[in-house]
Amino acid sequence: MLRSVNQKISIILLLVAVFYLIFSYQLPSYPYIPVDADFIPKVLGWLLVILAIALFFAKDQDSEEQKAKRRIPKKDALVILGVFGMVFIYILLLEIIGFVMMTALFIYFSSWFLGYTKHVTNVIVSILFPVILYGIFNYLLQINLPSGILPL
Amino acid sequence: MDGVMDGIISGLQVAFSLQGILFVLIGVFIGTFIGMLPGLGPISAIAIMIPITYGMDPALALVLMAGVYYGAVFGGSTSSILLNAPGISGTVATSFDGYPMAQQGKAGKALAIAAISSFAGGTISVVLLMVFAPVLSSVAISFGPPAYFALMLLGLTAIASLSEGSTLKALISAVIGFMVVTIGIDPQTGTARFTFGSANLLDGIDFLVIALGLFALAEVGFLIMNRKEKIMKNAKEIGSLKLTKQDAREMSGPIGRHSILGFIIGILPGAGATIASFISYITEKRISKKPEEFGKGSVKGLSAPEVSNNAATSGAFVPLLSLGIPGSGTTAVMLGALLVLGIQPGPLLMTDHPEVFWGVIVSMYIGNIFLLILNLPLIPYIARVLTIPRPMLISMVIMFSVIGVYSISFNTFDLYLLLAFGVIGFLMRMFAFPAPPFILAFILGGMMEQSFRQSMTISNGSFMIFFENKIALALIMLSLLSFAYPIYQNYRKKRSSANTEG
Repeated sequence: MLRSVNQKISIILLLVAVFYLIFSYQLPSYPYIPVDADFIPKVLGWLLVILAIALFFAKDQDSEEQKAKRRIPKKDALVILGVFGMVFIYILLLEIIGFVMMTALFIYFSSWFLGYTKHVTNVIVSILFPVILYGIFNYLLQINLPSGILPL
Repeated sequence: MDGVMDGIISGLQVAFSLQGILFVLIGVFIGTFIGMLPGLGPISAIAIMIPITYGMDPALALVLMAGVYYGAVFGGSTSSILLNAPGISGTVATSFDGYPMAQQGKAGKALAIAAISSFAGGTISVVLLMVFAPVLSSVAISFGPPAYFALMLLGLTAIASLSEGSTLKALISAVIGFMVVTIGIDPQTGTARFTFGSANLLDGIDFLVIALGLFALAEVGFLIMNRKEKIMKNAKEIGSLKLTKQDAREMSGPIGRHSILGFIIGILPGAGATIASFISYITEKRISKKPEEFGKGSVKGLSAPEVSNNAATSGAFVPLLSLGIPGSGTTAVMLGALLVLGIQPGPLLMTDHPEVFWGVIVSMYIGNIFLLILNLPLIPYIARVLTIPRPMLISMVIMFSVIGVYSISFNTFDLYLLLAFGVIGFLMRMFAFPAPPFILAFILGGMMEQSFRQSMTISNGSFMIFFENKIALALIMLSLLSFAYPIYQNYRKKRSSANTEG
């Protein structure tokens, strides 16, 4: 039944809309206010329901170029997941290890992971980039990035 | 008119101050760089710059961001011409004639034509901006909440119906953007909406998280897939930049026509540099005596879209500066940044903050001159940015996005949200849901809800207020009419395909 891409997306959107509507109807309301905080969310929720149903029955009008974007080779998908995973680890450890160390490690490993093989250049860039940025943010912009374990 | 003269003078003071000149130079320089890199658009460029503007004087911050915007449109043409890989979507039409010209060994000439056309389009349209923005803001000053609500509604429906691809998908994108902005404490009643008990969500989601996630990080996903694509190897072999008198004569026509056409299209909500450049290319081809030359390195075919896309960027500032309502994703991000700096753009901007209003306009003249210098004699050196290895570029863009968000919130929760919106943005691109309506709805959503509820409070709960107010009624009709355009296009497509089949 759910053959086309549009229909699959439509079902997901419907679920989002229902979820959003359930919480909209639980919002408290106050007397003497013509339009309360729950009005716009309810309108938006029902609007999404209508649009999702329309999408379910809509023909796929996307151009070939747009369709080509959907075919992601498995290898690339894994690389993207890998990079996003690295970002996740970066966020996890940022405040513990510190900005300079984590950023240097990220730049080096992410560039290497994406196929950059000149290790010397990579090391130089991955050290200079966070050090310069740390200097700009901490001293010029007065924004303190986490120093972490380095005695900065 | 005294007010205008005083305003222009305070604008001149901002633009010609040492800092003003410095920031416009930094802005156009960074804009040119990011614009050249295929895959990264002006929205990402501006979003990455935003953390730097925090704490800055609002006038200078806008000067900087505006510089990044038109710098990106200016610089985007370089990669269109040299690589046939448009730096930004606004310069796709530039590659139609720019790339063939470069392949004939006339890359230098193509770059020179693009730079001069961009300069002319940019400068002429700033003159128009100076005339139109004050007029429009003096009209809009009388707008009450109903008219404002209707105006924002028009902005949203227009971007949905004019954006590329399916209008339905653009509308869904806008509705979801609006939904995301309802998260957090309702400013009018204090009700916590959709926070699920999390203290992190009480203030809502910061727009920078959305802008950097939905644009910069999502673009990174596609950069990763294309990381092995051709990069510039022969940056030195650009050839002579010299133009003949014949070339100059051929360019004069398109410059006159498309600086006006591009500017008008830029003002329209929803339409921007991309649509302007395509329409100009098509128009120029249609009125040309030698349409067969188009696509094979025609001077006019290269000049027309370049004049137009730069004129459109100035046009896009008209609704932003005079109404406080952005008509595109890019200007929406600038509006978000201004709100953070404590400036509420709107019809009062010109009188309340003349240094912001006029400062940015005057700085555009300076910026365009800088761009001409950057893009003519220095282009062979700047084009080397295209030789930056992709893996390193990708890593740096990710880091810039993460630092940008962290430096405003100092909270890793926002970084996880950034990552989540990066994934959402990537999926949206995959399935052809346009992201600009999302960010526009996100920025306008709060204001729309506010003006809607103000209107309803004025009318004591009656919807008739939107129909009794003539301006509001006219704008609501226009926003309904804006859906007629995609329906008409669909109909035409069907008819033409039926004709070819029959």
